Order: sequence, then structure tokens, then C-alpha cells
Amino acid sequence: MATTTATITLASADMLTDVLSFSTTSTLTTAGTSTGLSQTSGLSRKTTSAASAAAIQSVTLFRADDALNSGANKVYLKNLSTTAAQFFTVTIDQEEIGRLYAGDWMFMPWSATAGTKRIFTVTIAATWAAGDTWEFDGITLTAADSTVANIAAQIDALNYPNWITTYVATEATIIFTERYSSSASYTAVVTADGTLNTSGNGTANVSSSSVGAKSEADISIRPSVHTDMTIEHILFNE
Amino acid sequence: MATTTAAISLSSDLMSSNLSVSTDTTLMKAGTENDSLDQARMGYNKIPTGTSFDLLDATTAGVDKAAKVLIANESEDETYYVTIVIDAKTIGRLYGGPDGSGDWMFIPWNQDDATHDLEVTATTGTNNISWIVFHEGETLPTQGD
Repeated sequence: MATTTATITLASADMLTDVLSFSTTSTLTTAGTSTGLSQTSGLSRKTTSAASAAAIQSVTLFRADDALNSGANKVYLKNLSTTAAQFFTVTIDQEEIGRLYAGDWMFMPWSATAGTKRIFTVTIAATWAAGDTWEFDGITLTAADSTVANIAAQIDALNYPNWITTYVATEATIIFTERYSSSASYTAVVTADGTLNTSGNGTANVSSSSVGAKSEADISIRPSVHTDMTIEHILFNE
Repeated sequence: MATTTAAISLSSDLMSSNLSVSTDTTLMKAGTENDSLDQARMGYNKIPTGTSFDLLDATTAGVDKAAKVLIANESEDETYYVTIVIDAKTIGRLYGGPDGSGDWMFIPWNQDDATHDLEVTATTGTNNISWIVFHEGETLPTQGD
């Protein structure tokens, strides 16, 4: 079992009449257990920049979908800037936690309250022919034969940038699930059936679907200046 | 000028190569490099279950400042935890742990409006927490009736 520890030491010789000295060490474990956390993003850096102050954008560092909802996840951030006035505003969802000024670091727990991913099912039906195509999410399927189950299997085997698929062998349906919770709450289900070109009367209709909901806990940063600023970050998660 | 430093050391063997990160910062007032945070409050509380408590009340004097907050869960039971909330947004859970190995957090805290209180809610049992806030700009409330 992996062992991860985090130690903080606070020290001040002159803030109070007496010396302030505080130190504690935490062993990072999964929620409510003595089992060590087993996943991490590793130590990473992100440099932000924009063309002008008006063009500054926030950057999402961690998506709640990537960690366990209500898990004992931990996040470390450090502002590597050396200009005292430069800071990153750290937010969770839309709520500001605080400003991380030059040289400052933070370490916090993260519940990673995820949203709900949109799901829809496509049913391959009617008469298809080899060479028919179906396009969705920028990916094009070209049918190898006319068997609907085989076409469904082909669709499942493709890699979609924004969706993952679930397929049961010999069936003619494929379930699509969003990779990430919707960036905003959609009030409508997926309605696009993809673009179908068939020489027969083949169909690839959405036969069922469900709405999603946005994540409640993505962690974002917003730099205070448009010139280069760099943040260092680590996620420990379950 | 008071000088307070906060150092962190992270160590892990969960990757092929050991992870070891150590850094420290001197707690300064917002946007300064020669003017340290010079005020602090600290406490130790027993938090019973079932109620959300304001551990730290936001004040307008703390708007856009560089306050820092340390909270450590000193409960010995690893199933005990406190949920940390800022302005109704859940941040995360600090679990207890045997022999003082419980979770801690150290964050900047921008009290950007009056509702930006830092709240704690205990779960499983009464949690023991220690805390320190380093801040600037705050004045004591005027005596009430």
C-alpha cells in the first residue's frame, strides 16, 4: 500500500510574545479508512497567459468527474510567481476560496461533487448496406457490412472525443455516455441522431436519453495579470 | 515586523519514483513583499454532530486580503470527519486519524462578501479540531448591549 504524508509547519518568532511553533503530519488515506490514497496526478505545472488583461480567462485545473465524489481527495497548489502583486484567484465551482499570491501555497481536501452525465441510446435498424456512413461527435463510421449488430459493434469500437460507449455483443443498440458532466445544465436531452448517409433505409435513431447536470466542484484558477504566470499543482485522489 | 512562515512537505511512494515536494512561504499582506500578516486568532473546538457551525465569520475588512486558514482534525477515529463549507459551497472533508495523523488544510481565505463564512459540520461523532487564522485589516467589533 502506498504511503503519502503531508506535513505543515507554522513558525513565527515574533508575532506573539512567545514563539509560535505548530507542526502536524497527515497520512493521506481513502475516506474513513487506513488505506492509503492510490492515485495522483503527479506534480504538474500550468502557465497562463492572454493577449491582454481583457482577455484573461479562468483555467480549470481539476474536474470533479476525475475524482471520487465525497472522497478524501487532496489538492496542492503553489503560485510560482515572484512578483508580489500577482495572484491566482482559486475557485471551486463558482465560489471563490481565496487569492494565492506570489510564492503562496495551499493544501486542501476536495469532495469533488460531480454532476450527472448525459446518456443516450442509439438503435441501428432497418436496411443498411456496406459503405453506408454515420457521423457523430466528429467521428465517421463506415459500415463494413449490412448486419445491424455488426454496425453497432463498429460504432462501439470507435473513439469519440466527448463520449464513451457501452455495447452488448449481438445487439443493435449502443449507449453513449458523456465523458464529463455537462458544463451547464441542459434542459433538453440529446436530439441529434448523427449524420446518416445510407443507400437503403437504414436508421440510427436516438431511442432513449437522459439529461445531465453540471459539476458542482470543478477547481479553477484565474490569473491576476495577462502576462505569464505559473502554478504548480498535485491531486491525490481516490 | 512579525514574520510567520508556513512550510509544507509532501512525500509519497505511490509512483515509480518517489514524490517529494517541500516549500515554504512567508505570510504577507495582500500584494506586498515587505509587510507581513500581523494578526492571528486560534482555537481548539469540539464539534458535535448534526449542526453546521460558523468557525470563522467573514468580515468586510477581509475583502480581497491575504488571510490564511489552517484547520486540523485531531480526532483519533479515522471514520470521524468534518465537512468544510465556504458560503454554502462544500470544499471537502477533513478526516480524523490515529496518533495525530488526521487531515489538515491550509488555504487562502478571501472574505469577498458577508456570507463568505467558513463553516464546519461534524459527522460520525464529536470531532476535535484546532485552527489558526492569520489575517490583516480586521478590527474588533464595537461593544454591543
